[in-house]
Amino acid sequence: MIDAEITGIILILIGLYGIITKSNLIKQILSLNILSIGVVLFFVGTGYVKGADIPIMPRAKVVDPLPATLMLTTLVVDVAITALALALILRIRGEEK
Amino acid sequence: MISLMVALPLLFAFFLSLISTFKLDKKFAKPLFIAGSLIPWLFLLISLKSSPFYEIVGGWSREGGIEIGLNDYNLYFLLAELIVFSAAALYSLKYFTNNTGKVYALLLLMHAGLIGSFISKDFFNYYIYMEIASVSAFALVGISEEKHAKTAAFKYLIFSLLASYLFIFAIGIIYLKTGYLNAELIKENLIITKEIDIALVIAFISLILKAGIFPLYFWLPDAHAKAPNPISALLSGIVVKSPIYGMLLIHETFSVNANLMMLLRIIAFASVFFGIVLMILQRNVKRLLAYSTVSQMGYILLSLSINSTLGVIYYSFAHSLFKSGLFLSAGALIDSQKSKNLKKLTYRGEPLLMVSILGLSLAIGGISPFVGSYAKNIILKGLTDYWVYLFYIANVGTLTSFIKMNYYLAKPKEVKAKSRSLYKALSFIMMLLTLTFGIYFGAEIKLISDVLSIGIALILFVILKRFNVFEIELKPKFERSMKGIAEEINFYAGMFGIVFLIFLLLSFF
Repeated sequence: MIDAEITGIILILIGLYGIITKSNLIKQILSLNILSIGVVLFFVGTGYVKGADIPIMPRAKVVDPLPATLMLTTLVVDVAITALALALILRIRGEEK
Repeated sequence: MISLMVALPLLFAFFLSLISTFKLDKKFAKPLFIAGSLIPWLFLLISLKSSPFYEIVGGWSREGGIEIGLNDYNLYFLLAELIVFSAAALYSLKYFTNNTGKVYALLLLMHAGLIGSFISKDFFNYYIYMEIASVSAFALVGISEEKHAKTAAFKYLIFSLLASYLFIFAIGIIYLKTGYLNAELIKENLIITKEIDIALVIAFISLILKAGIFPLYFWLPDAHAKAPNPISALLSGIVVKSPIYGMLLIHETFSVNANLMMLLRIIAFASVFFGIVLMILQRNVKRLLAYSTVSQMGYILLSLSINSTLGVIYYSFAHSLFKSGLFLSAGALIDSQKSKNLKKLTYRGEPLLMVSILGLSLAIGGISPFVGSYAKNIILKGLTDYWVYLFYIANVGTLTSFIKMNYYLAKPKEVKAKSRSLYKALSFIMMLLTLTFGIYFGAEIKLISDVLSIGIALILFVILKRFNVFEIELKPKFERSMKGIAEEINFYAGMFGIVFLIFLLLSFF
């Protein structure tokens, strides 16, 4: 069975491939987003415990909630960065004309 | 207590963005900004007494909280950050004229991010704060009015983020294998496995990309040269030190395998020499200084690769002081003479700037008793056999390129305007600081070797001049259009991929 970590690594590689091959700035930013989603998936996957329940108490065996909460921060960074990058692309476009 | 060092600049950044929304910039922006940038000094001085110490924010247990601390490892990083930022902050008071509230808010965010990354003892916390600092750095490069500054900011953004994501991926692997993010806890419970070795390679390569060390330097010259003057000083002075602190944190936590260390040493020397060659070929003074950063970061990595922790700390500190000083004084000249071309700039008629630039050039060339010589001595002590000669050659090369810079700046040219006295004073203070810290650390006076290296550098300079090396024109490899930028990013990302693979393969065979 393919698990979350492997999927994450595959997504990271797809993102890297996109940055290397795409010749459109917006597509490059999207590739970077795919890469970041890969990282998030990988991280969330590290917290997975087989057969465990959601981490709301009281339960006997729960998954590790820490990676998921950490990844919230990364997701917020992603949003901010994507906005900044798109704004920069607009300005580059404006400079070119 | 020490966490307030980060919290207060963040708070002031919030106030600044608030007042800029209400268009009250003129009244309140400057005092708020100055307060936000200088307040961390207070906390550093208070906590200095009880150094070294650790604390967990919020009083949680070590497993559950975020650990921060102040000890010999990060004290000089923090001190450099505060000195460089205070100088750049005073410089920016006169430099930025419109939209001040927003610019100052970004600057304070960078301040908080840098301090936060330097005090953290926890890998995830370190990543978050480094990210805050770099995100504001992208925006601050982007606000420059110079042509193609946005392109530079975009390139910086893509590569810096690529590095961040890979770094956090590496931390993910470490978390998966050890179950901790805290450096101390990882160290206590560490069992080195193949996965951790791979994670370390990924972490190092991503931090090398973020620090702009050859062969992954490509975003650095553009970003550092095109940013506004005080921002360049910050970027070259202290923002690139934040990945270095990460490397140090990793180096102190894990025992890095010997193959990787050897590889790091080789690229460190490659970076030193590559930077010097390109410095000799530059005509734009800011680009010259930016390539000098590539070369100097090589020294820091070299020091890390020979396990000389002290060397990393002191060289980072020294480099922060003289590089930001050089950027500030070059910025003062650029600001009044409206050019960046070495052939049009001059410091004739500006004695204070002349003394500052000469002093800082000597400091970067490792001439005693400036702080650079002390740091270089520490690294030199850790080197053996033929590496020592390479180090001396590199030192002469650095001096040659700075002799070249001073040669052009010393030629008399028509000057229309004088530099601002604030800029001159700040440059001079930075020069004095490099001298004071050199004497304070107790740098040995090595008259013979200093005179010898300056002499050889002068001869080399004359030879290079004779063969018209300084007239060689470098053509940009990629055209300056949307398509050109995309191709450039493709090319360098591909290069990053290849270097990444080579690193992974060579570290294990």
